[in-house]
Amino acid sequence: MTKLSIIIISFLIYLSDPTGLIAQTITVSGSVTDGGKEPIPGATIQIVSASTGAVADQNGLYTISGLPIGPAKIRVSCLGYLTIEQDLALGENKKVTQNFVLQESSVDLEEVTVTGKTMVREVKEKAFNVGVIDAKVLHQTSLDLAHALDRTSGVKVRESGGVGSQMNFSINGFRGNQVRIFIDGIPMDNLGSAFQLNNIPVGMAERIEVYKGVVPISLGSDALGGAVNIITNSYAKNHLDISYSYGSFNTHRTIVNAIYVAPKSGFTVQLNAFQNYSDNNYKMNDIDVADINTGAYYRDQTVERFHDTYHNETAIINMGVVNKPYADQLLIGATLGQNYKEIQTGARVSAVFGEWNRKGNIIMPSLKYIKNDLFTKGLNVRVNANYNAGYEQNIDTVNRRYNWFGQYKEYPNPGGENSYSLYKYRNNIGVTIANFEYKFKDRHTVALTNTLNSFDRKGEDELNPDNDEFNEPRKNLKNITGFGYTYEGESWNASVFVKNYFQENKFTKVTELEGYNQYEYTNTVNTFSSLGYGTALSWFLNDNLQLKASYESSYRLPESYELFGDLINLDGNINLKPENSNNYNLGSSFWIYPNKNNRINININGFYRHAKDFIRPRLNNNQVKIVMDNLGSVTNLGIDGEVWYQYKEALSIGANISYQDLRNNTQYEPGQTVESAVYRDRIPNEPYLFGNGNIAYTFKNLWRKGHRMNIEYNLRYVHAFYLYWPSQGSDKFDIPEQLSHDLTLTYFLNDKFQFTVEGRNLTDKNLYDNFSLQKPGRSFTGKIRYNIF
Amino acid sequence: MKKIHLLIILSGALLFGSCSDDEGDNPTPEEPVEESVSKYIITARPIASEGVADYILTVDDLKTGSISTEGNGIEQDGTYRYYVTGNNKFFSMLYGQGNPGAVTTYQLNGEGELELLSDFQSETVRAFAPVKEDILTIKITPSADNPYAYWYSINTNSLTIVKEGQINVQELADKENGELAFFSWITPKDDKVYLPYFTIKGTSEGGWGTDYPNEANIAVYSYPEMEYLETLTDDRTSFIGRYFTVGLSFDEKGDGYAFSSAVPQNSNWEVIPTLPSAITRISNSTGDFDDFYFDLEEASGGYVIDSHIYAGNGKFVGVMQKKSELSTAWGGGTEYAIIDVYNKTFKWISGLPDPTTITNITGSYNNFVSEDGSTVYAGITTETGSNVYSIDIATAAATKGLSVEGGQITAINHLETPASDE
Repeated sequence: MTKLSIIIISFLIYLSDPTGLIAQTITVSGSVTDGGKEPIPGATIQIVSASTGAVADQNGLYTISGLPIGPAKIRVSCLGYLTIEQDLALGENKKVTQNFVLQESSVDLEEVTVTGKTMVREVKEKAFNVGVIDAKVLHQTSLDLAHALDRTSGVKVRESGGVGSQMNFSINGFRGNQVRIFIDGIPMDNLGSAFQLNNIPVGMAERIEVYKGVVPISLGSDALGGAVNIITNSYAKNHLDISYSYGSFNTHRTIVNAIYVAPKSGFTVQLNAFQNYSDNNYKMNDIDVADINTGAYYRDQTVERFHDTYHNETAIINMGVVNKPYADQLLIGATLGQNYKEIQTGARVSAVFGEWNRKGNIIMPSLKYIKNDLFTKGLNVRVNANYNAGYEQNIDTVNRRYNWFGQYKEYPNPGGENSYSLYKYRNNIGVTIANFEYKFKDRHTVALTNTLNSFDRKGEDELNPDNDEFNEPRKNLKNITGFGYTYEGESWNASVFVKNYFQENKFTKVTELEGYNQYEYTNTVNTFSSLGYGTALSWFLNDNLQLKASYESSYRLPESYELFGDLINLDGNINLKPENSNNYNLGSSFWIYPNKNNRINININGFYRHAKDFIRPRLNNNQVKIVMDNLGSVTNLGIDGEVWYQYKEALSIGANISYQDLRNNTQYEPGQTVESAVYRDRIPNEPYLFGNGNIAYTFKNLWRKGHRMNIEYNLRYVHAFYLYWPSQGSDKFDIPEQLSHDLTLTYFLNDKFQFTVEGRNLTDKNLYDNFSLQKPGRSFTGKIRYNIF
Repeated sequence: MKKIHLLIILSGALLFGSCSDDEGDNPTPEEPVEESVSKYIITARPIASEGVADYILTVDDLKTGSISTEGNGIEQDGTYRYYVTGNNKFFSMLYGQGNPGAVTTYQLNGEGELELLSDFQSETVRAFAPVKEDILTIKITPSADNPYAYWYSINTNSLTIVKEGQINVQELADKENGELAFFSWITPKDDKVYLPYFTIKGTSEGGWGTDYPNEANIAVYSYPEMEYLETLTDDRTSFIGRYFTVGLSFDEKGDGYAFSSAVPQNSNWEVIPTLPSAITRISNSTGDFDDFYFDLEEASGGYVIDSHIYAGNGKFVGVMQKKSELSTAWGGGTEYAIIDVYNKTFKWISGLPDPTTITNITGSYNNFVSEDGSTVYAGITTETGSNVYSIDIATAAATKGLSVEGGQITAINHLETPASDE
């Protein structure tokens, strides 16, 4: 039904768009080169009169569409070049070609540095503590978004295995649902297993913004410790590229990015489609394999994973119009996808499965509306809405016990490997986010953001069709409203904001009555509401040195599955309270340009967090299931630093390191009057010192003009850490130090073709993210990418 | 040898019958007391809300001194573990939420240090006890979707699973509404094991609730064959034992004393009215319930029994809970009494902490009884810390002993260096 309605609505919009009604717009495109006709990538082309612009691509090419008829002033600037301005009269032709030649400047660098900044730097200059990954430079790799994030300072991604495995990531020590993920500003809450960061290729993204601590209210969610906002590719012109990679463990990945913009009507269709498949049959070393009958261990075996196939297929389609008087963007779309995952192990390596699997899909219609200068200049409106009607199913119907040799014993009666189940459920999650922003007198902006999440779980298990429990309401409504004010001064920015967090949960209380199997059902509603607030400041001491400070008192609301359980291993706790955290951040950025060929950027951030009422798992009363509860308090004092150096367009060297001192701040455990033995101890099972190093070199015009080769080396380091409280015991378990080396070689052929060979974990070290669950050893991948137009 | 056998009895459940048999067969030679080193094994768990592991500590004396888990002790992998001593070996078992996990085995070396013997893989179980040369473990289901209990015999010499099987607990319970038998614990005697059980609906709505609150059932199996022999039934009390709690102990004469906590529940985990908490008896001569009956609620003035520890000569230490404050079936009692079944007397133990300040007690089967049965060592955590209390059975007086800093005492065991002639 949903798919059909999207098509119909899109078609109606298309029909209701007679060309005469709408003012005609003009597209300007061309190249930016230096005196020697070499392209200048990253040059900024600004239409001064229309407050729009573009950044020149790797070939120095740019396109700006949607310009009104009439005179236009264009300003072109780039670091190390003199800025030029040119007046154009637009009107005669719908397509105008305008090439610019910039003169190198040896003086007056300071002025150019500000105007020549990239989008990446513009984001970094916001008052918030934000790290930005320029995803485009990673497009030649076979990385997924999670592994791209893992290269950012302060961010740690942890996985339980290979492609499609369970992952969680932390920002400055905050983890799980304390940090939130957004795609183009839309919260990615509970999108289901078909849409996870570690199965979305990096080629989908243009850049990734990582907010540490305080999150701007435009991302109106209940992120407590930070947020990741993935900005997807938005091409302003027709585009089609396809890439395919094949690698170790029978891993196939395909990505298609396509966009069509109708020249006259502004009708546009965007398609992002991707596919991942992997057998994940990598070797595990030093495994103690239990005899299937006696339980005796065969020591230190090397075994191959035998039940870990994963695949997903996802397409994101958006259709609509751009650059209309009533909308800058009005897009209706859908995310459609499915996934299948075999489950090889439990939380511990000793739990081996051979049949248990999960599958799910995503059917998510969405609406995107953007209009700037609505009614009056400076009033910008953005509305996004989506609804996920996809399902998840847990399939565990084979009553066997496996060991790591793949041997099993089978029991005759019905049962499962973990829990006998065919439980299938839909969470029916809807998200609507509306954003109003009004900028007045150039320097003042007020903003109002509202995010509404709804959840309504419906599930059934065909093994147990009469179970009325599945018919009880499991609904929740979450609303977060943020209001903020920002002042932008000459050299400083300041913003203050307040947020209201509201949650309403509907559920059934079952009471057993006197008599034989008699129950009474009472529908019950729980609500709570909390107020958070914060401020963020930034100050340019001079053009090359910026300081930032921010503070926030924020909340993280309980998740639906934490309130209602998953009906498998997790019991619900309807009385969970929100987590609360006070975050303080102090950061600085330096840009150093000794001359036009050398660029250095240094970022240093320090932070302090104090979080209370952590939502953490514990065993329920009779120790059968896990239940989430508000437990404990922690503080976190940390620092992360990043240095980046670039020589011309050829060499770049970067490194980052993060240290976080997460300490248990629960002085008295419930019911105790003596100080806890682990008060002020370091939080266990959490990496606290880790870093990344990266060096890349590009050979230009190799052998022939237009042929380039890029070679990149990446180093990952994680300091050893303890699995349990560091102060306790003398004979302890630890997760050893980890060091892994990746090498990527890419050959570009006239920017039409890219050929990449990639080696990950070259020294074939045993890598662990979660205790005893090994990740893949050395692997190789080949990738081809073709830019069709 | 005698000491070893006593250990088996005291640390797990009761197994006096097999013990006496063995003694009859092999008269104990001179004990090599001088050469043998012995240690108390304390397992402690720091009180914290995450990242918690148990630590194994060794001490010479339970009556005095202090130990700490800070920088001390062998870390046990996995937050929830259970312990049992059998054949002078200490078994540390992972409670893995239905998944298999490693069982780690230790024994004491000549220097009095714990030495890792081996580890092997076993299933997550909800009942375990030393039976003859084995440890019998049972994985019990609370779900009617899959009404089978799985049992495994772990040989304490080979340290492997030597036999396994399954029991259809729905058939065993044999109830009109399909309720399941859920074994509270395992009590061995001679060539049999006694499995007291309670019945639960096991459906997602019925949960741990029952429509049969007023009956006691004990399934009897042969060992090591684990062939079903009979079910002993009695209607004077509710079920025997409790979830994860031993409810039946045999004395030196071979009579079995069965303790009913009187805590059947409905699907909301609320305790429902039933017959009084009381002790009944399985006669050594007839092998079935006889007319012995001791009403504990009457004797204690309104308390039910949570768990018991058998000291010897018909005397038990009982952990009691005020019935008027009983809110769940999962225990929580903090008051201790001496129960003498031979004389049907009940006496509160003096010298223990104020019950309202007690936050945790060591599970009954994890406490320790001295060789002569005169003293029971019980772990108690209060608002101000954890201590081992020595309870003098004759006088019903307790004395505060060893202090365990920073953690709950999860088990108290005892090992000695294996005699060289074995």
